[in-house]
Amino acid sequence: MTGRFEASNQVAVAGYAQSPVTRHSDQTLGALAMETARSAIEDAGLVVGDVDGFVTSSLFPTAGAHSAEDGVSVVSANWLAGHLGVNPRYAAGFQGFGQIPGAVSLAVNAVASGAAKYVLVHRALHNPRGRYHENPIEEAPGSQQWTVPQGYFGPLAMIALAYNEYVQRYGASREAMAAVVSEARKNGARIPWSYWHAKPLPASEYLDAPMINDPICRYDCDIPVDGVAAFLFTSAERARDLPHQPVYVAGYATGAPMRHRLPLHWPLDDIMEVASETTRRLWERSGVQPREVDLPQVYDGFSPFVYFWMEALGLCPAGEAHRMVLDGGIDSDRAGAVPVLSGGGALGNGRMHGVPQMLECYLQLAGRAGERQRAKASIGLACHSSPHFGGAVVYASEPF
Amino acid sequence: MTSLPRPVPVPDDASAGFWAAAAEHVLALAKCSRCEAISHPPDVVCPHCRSTRPGFVFTPVDGRGTIRSWTIMRQSFLPGFDGEVPFVLVDVELSAHPDIRLIGRLVDGAEAPIRLGAEVRPAFEDIGQGYSVPAFALEQPR
Ligand SMILES: [Zn+2]
Repeated sequence: MTGRFEASNQVAVAGYAQSPVTRHSDQTLGALAMETARSAIEDAGLVVGDVDGFVTSSLFPTAGAHSAEDGVSVVSANWLAGHLGVNPRYAAGFQGFGQIPGAVSLAVNAVASGAAKYVLVHRALHNPRGRYHENPIEEAPGSQQWTVPQGYFGPLAMIALAYNEYVQRYGASREAMAAVVSEARKNGARIPWSYWHAKPLPASEYLDAPMINDPICRYDCDIPVDGVAAFLFTSAERARDLPHQPVYVAGYATGAPMRHRLPLHWPLDDIMEVASETTRRLWERSGVQPREVDLPQVYDGFSPFVYFWMEALGLCPAGEAHRMVLDGGIDSDRAGAVPVLSGGGALGNGRMHGVPQMLECYLQLAGRAGERQRAKASIGLACHSSPHFGGAVVYASEPF
Repeated sequence: MTSLPRPVPVPDDASAGFWAAAAEHVLALAKCSRCEAISHPPDVVCPHCRSTRPGFVFTPVDGRGTIRSWTIMRQSFLPGFDGEVPFVLVDVELSAHPDIRLIGRLVDGAEAPIRLGAEVRPAFEDIGQGYSVPAFALEQPR
């Protein structure tokens, strides 16, 4: 099967809402999700009763021993619909990784197929009390037995191995990664709802931070937060009758199956091999060429993903992303640079998964970014997770 | 204050041969009885011939390899490692089976001179309760 997505540009985002992003909300996650959902529906010029589809991904991303409780630590599509008093024609949860592109694809498919007319996509993230990844296991059964007895556990060690392979192979410096993280924090500092609003990170502070799992320090990881975002999807035709300029979904792609490896082991070559397949499909399905994207938003939940996505998207040759960064190539304030973190990303907003990337595409392409509005934003690309594991969505300000 | 022990593996039908060999300080990996290819960890099906009845047999392998990556664990989220940090985990490509990558402790310690492509040989950590965990040691430069 080859060729462009048959529903390319036939479905659009018509409105959104984003809650404040905090360490611990004074509201239970479900209540925050309801308020955010109502705001997004109102923003799109609709009422709750119009919405007949609800989609989310309710993954609770922690390696720790925290339980997931609907309405408290996660919010499923049916929980939200039920509490809003809606019996939806379509409700679904995306189960894979790359939760935002995955959920967007379910919503787009539902609208394009006629399963639902107005679909609300929400993402609710919760920061549990206590150490986020702490796990008191004494025995390692099942797949854990292959790595846990060795002490290999948790996402920091996972990304540390892949990143160090990159660092050693290509000679990437800590100064380059300091520039990545400060770029995310600079942009996040300009966003009112961000956890890091008005709190940029000087590169020197990054460079002074002690290592946790070399070469990863605390600033290479996004901070766990409470926060909810919601987006309203409908057909391009219906969206044109709603108050805001529609932002069209040109296409999407999610990661391909990976080689069989140890649990949480992502050798760099495995990542990049599958990543090139993810992006190849993205260009084919969306009908967009890499050079046409003026607003690529790369995922940065762990800072090394920025390099992996930049290279997978062809913004620079393999092994060159760190040099492009040092040369000012991703500085959102510099003419001619590629502003891959203009929305602040996860490092500049908090652990909202792929929401900041999607939201930046929506706000800029809809002309709703306010003081941060960029002069040229016609094709946006929102990434989430690792390029081999997650996915990406291409957005357009005009159908083509 | 007593420190917690390190997590021990729980051998099962698919892994008992691996841990039994490790207890004797032998690295044994799963060999498919259909296509004879080695894979690790043993999957539900053979990743080489895709047999759904691979009948894996744990076979001693040449555990020498090269370091493809590493990390120094200065903090661990697991119990039993507080007294062990900092320690080094290496990502090793087996020379005799280049499609297999293993992760284990580098027993030479966090100050050892590590570089990409450095040669290692298998070693074992005895962690108590009769369990030995495969690890690696730097080959002495010749
Ligand atoms: Zn086989």
